[in-house]
Amino acid sequence: MKQAQLLEEIREANLSYLMLAQRMLRDDREQGMFRLGLAEEVADIVANLSPAQILKIAASNMLMCSFRFTDDIVWNLLTSHSKDAKLSGLHASLLMAAQPATVAA
Amino acid sequence: MKNKRVIDEGRDIELAAELIRLGARLQVLEAETKLSREKLLRLYKEIQGKSPPKGMLPFSTDWFMTWQPNIHASLFIGIYRSLLKASELGDVEAIIKAYRLYLEHCTAHEIEAVLSITRAWRLVKFFDAHMLATAPCTRCNGHYVVHTYDLTKDYVCGLCDVPSRAGKTKDRAAAAAA
Repeated sequence: MKQAQLLEEIREANLSYLMLAQRMLRDDREQGMFRLGLAEEVADIVANLSPAQILKIAASNMLMCSFRFTDDIVWNLLTSHSKDAKLSGLHASLLMAAQPATVAA
Repeated sequence: MKNKRVIDEGRDIELAAELIRLGARLQVLEAETKLSREKLLRLYKEIQGKSPPKGMLPFSTDWFMTWQPNIHASLFIGIYRSLLKASELGDVEAIIKAYRLYLEHCTAHEIEAVLSITRAWRLVKFFDAHMLATAPCTRCNGHYVVHTYDLTKDYVCGLCDVPSRAGKTKDRAAAAAA
């Protein structure tokens, strides 16, 4: 029962993630790629998915989105309360903007 | 150089209008489009409702070295480079898109956008002319704007090592007191 609910939640997260990603890429391709951290190949695949394909992918037991930032400095900056919040937010954006895009293997 | 084709002129007008809306100065428009000065002037007045400011553009690279502008400039150039690396955008389009994203960051973090579109454009030109470059901070690995021939082996950025009086302006003090 619990397992079924988990799968259902994964499916929902996948669905909204894929739909959002597709909308962003179709609205403004370059901006969407920057926000999503995608390279051109992957961006084209996602942008051209049909609704049926999206549903099929979403129904997987794997989450289609993953954590982009593996750098602990970024995490510390985003979660720290001690420092000037505006400044650490800016610092984090600066480091995140420079992260390379995910390339299709 | 004048546009030979009407369709190119249309594209230039659109581009100029977008730049004007973002607050670009006339010199930027003259450099990036092939429209005549008269046309640009008229366009500027139609969109902004006033004559463009006169005088030269800020030409010093030193402005980008001061604490707050350096952070903003580094953020902008980071976005700009990511956009260029990921796709085949033209230079101006990339500047406009990067500037929009930069403005978004500023609104999200509720900070004042220190970098104007004209400054951002200037910054990219300084990079193209190899007058400015970026150096990695030895603590956070972020890339920051520096003079091309600065010694940057032990570079620490203004965010990892905040100067003691940084950001403590009169305006802020007044805002805090109010």
